[in-house]
Amino acid sequence: MTTTTERTVKQHPLKLFSYTTNYFWLLIIPLVRSLYSISLDVDSLRVWLMGTWMDLLVIGAILIFAWRRWEHVYVRFDDRKISVTKGKIYSTCDVIYYDTISSLSVNQTLFLKLFGACTVTVGTNAGVISRASDNISLTLRKSDADRLYARVKKSRAKSLRYSVTPNKIRLILYSFISSSTLSGTVVILAFLYETSRMFDREVEAQLIMDTLSDVVNRASVYVSPVVAGVSVVIIIGWLVSFMTNIFNYWNYSLTRCSDSLYIKSGLIERNRHILTLDKINSVDLRQNLISKLLRISSLHCDCAGYGETGRAETSVVMPIATEREVNSAVVEIFPDIPSESVYHKPKLDLKPTYQSYWMFYYAPVVLAILPLTAYFVLFALFPSWRSVIRVGLIVAEIPALWLAIVKTLAIFKTGIAVNGDFITMRYSKFYTFHTTVVPKDRIVKVIIKQTYLQSLTGNCSAVIYTASSGTSKHVITGLRLNRTLGFFEKNGVDLYFE
Amino acid sequence: MRKYQPKHSALIVIDVAIVVLAAILTGFTVGYLSNHKIIMTLLLCLFWLIAILFAAVLLPAYFSRTVIYISPTEISMKTGIVYAKRHYMRASAVQYVSTITTFMSKYTGLNFVIFRAMGGTMVLPFLGLSDLHEIEDMMRN
Repeated sequence: MTTTTERTVKQHPLKLFSYTTNYFWLLIIPLVRSLYSISLDVDSLRVWLMGTWMDLLVIGAILIFAWRRWEHVYVRFDDRKISVTKGKIYSTCDVIYYDTISSLSVNQTLFLKLFGACTVTVGTNAGVISRASDNISLTLRKSDADRLYARVKKSRAKSLRYSVTPNKIRLILYSFISSSTLSGTVVILAFLYETSRMFDREVEAQLIMDTLSDVVNRASVYVSPVVAGVSVVIIIGWLVSFMTNIFNYWNYSLTRCSDSLYIKSGLIERNRHILTLDKINSVDLRQNLISKLLRISSLHCDCAGYGETGRAETSVVMPIATEREVNSAVVEIFPDIPSESVYHKPKLDLKPTYQSYWMFYYAPVVLAILPLTAYFVLFALFPSWRSVIRVGLIVAEIPALWLAIVKTLAIFKTGIAVNGDFITMRYSKFYTFHTTVVPKDRIVKVIIKQTYLQSLTGNCSAVIYTASSGTSKHVITGLRLNRTLGFFEKNGVDLYFE
Repeated sequence: MRKYQPKHSALIVIDVAIVVLAAILTGFTVGYLSNHKIIMTLLLCLFWLIAILFAAVLLPAYFSRTVIYISPTEISMKTGIVYAKRHYMRASAVQYVSTITTFMSKYTGLNFVIFRAMGGTMVLPFLGLSDLHEIEDMMRN
């Protein structure tokens, strides 16, 4: 039903460029370059046109197709729903009512800010066919995105229950702790991918490689080129991760109303999110080794569409909080969840047995063996590089040692507990400790896995899949098989077969 | 709760397919590598070793160890060769069910049911056609 306040908008013209192909830029850059180099007279222009008419036709065709595609996307929204109509000959229309939205995200990157555009993502629990079909992602003018945000906000309850803003020093500390070279490199790669959809990949790659070479050349004055290159990549990766975290979580604020969470953050990139509380599937407290020792953590949640919209975005609810703060935040934000199930060391019903402790060292051992193998191979191939290879081995073994420490701690932290209608899962995944709380009815699948070696000692691993727009699985390893089967049976999951 | 097992005819079909594939590879190997006796012999041994391993050991073990239980409220399956695995999915979590039937599947048993839930899927392999229809009916009701 169309209401009188329905508004029809088109996507921002910037979106037109993402409807072209990468080849578009490969064609247009040499053309513009050759046009720039010719002298300004009619004859030169005629010669240029005779040489490039085919390329110009192809560019024209690409632009016309992109424009036709952009032209036939209509976004309509009123006080109850948003609909997106695409196509003229083969037309599709997606309608989402606001009360079925699990999350609405409005993101404005620096690049989009220059053009007054925003990315709007509407997440729902609608489907499981593919992630692309679950969420609607649009590029809108900022004013249109603001209107849509206001409409969705207007459809929610007004009563303010809780509001929190972490202080800046803590945010810097959080960014420092949670930054890693790996995530920085992922951000760089994601950035390359995103921009390559708009610009020529080769030009962009060349620009980055030139910058990197320049920095490495300067550093090579002091250390060997290999060490300089590796160091520069590590430092840049870490710095990018650190700066991304700072920029993402600066001015972070969270407000809870009776049915929704409102999250705002970002220094340059302004991000706003509305999450529907009863559509949050699980709550996850994350810590790495350092934050565990400092007794601080970050609180995340699983809500379709949230944390899936940007290259560096995570599904964070509280970026950094102390033990006491997490406790009060859980009480205020998720009052249904028993507070003891998150932080106050829930009494674990299932814990690893001492016969299964060795299983925690699989990953560190594999991680330690790989560089060692590489060391022997490289040493056999390049015996004169012995000292460099040895330094490389020591550096490469540090992550394995770090992981071994994490896993040793994980032995004493891993387990499953039940508190009322909620299940708490404590486990470690790579270098991160997770305490995930999920309502029992959001557990969709359970697998009890037993290797041959585990069967000798009567142990197993439990893989618990929880409701999510993607795949969200939690692996709790080193459990006693008979106790695990009994535990799950008591909680309505019958895995006995005999 | 109903109990199902993979249809034995599917095992025979796959075994025959493996033997045929190994025979074709043998033909190509003998045809193209007859001048390199050692490589040819090694490849033939490898092909037939893999074929025998799958046809006579792994697949029969997989078929005999796979048991499926379905009730209107839950779907569970015990399976695995290297890993012993027990799967469980709540019927209430299932969002939709896909079925895959192949040509002559009434005789071959190459039928599959895929339960798709938000956050996970579960595949029931090599079902008889009547079993597949029974599961469909159970889920529909």
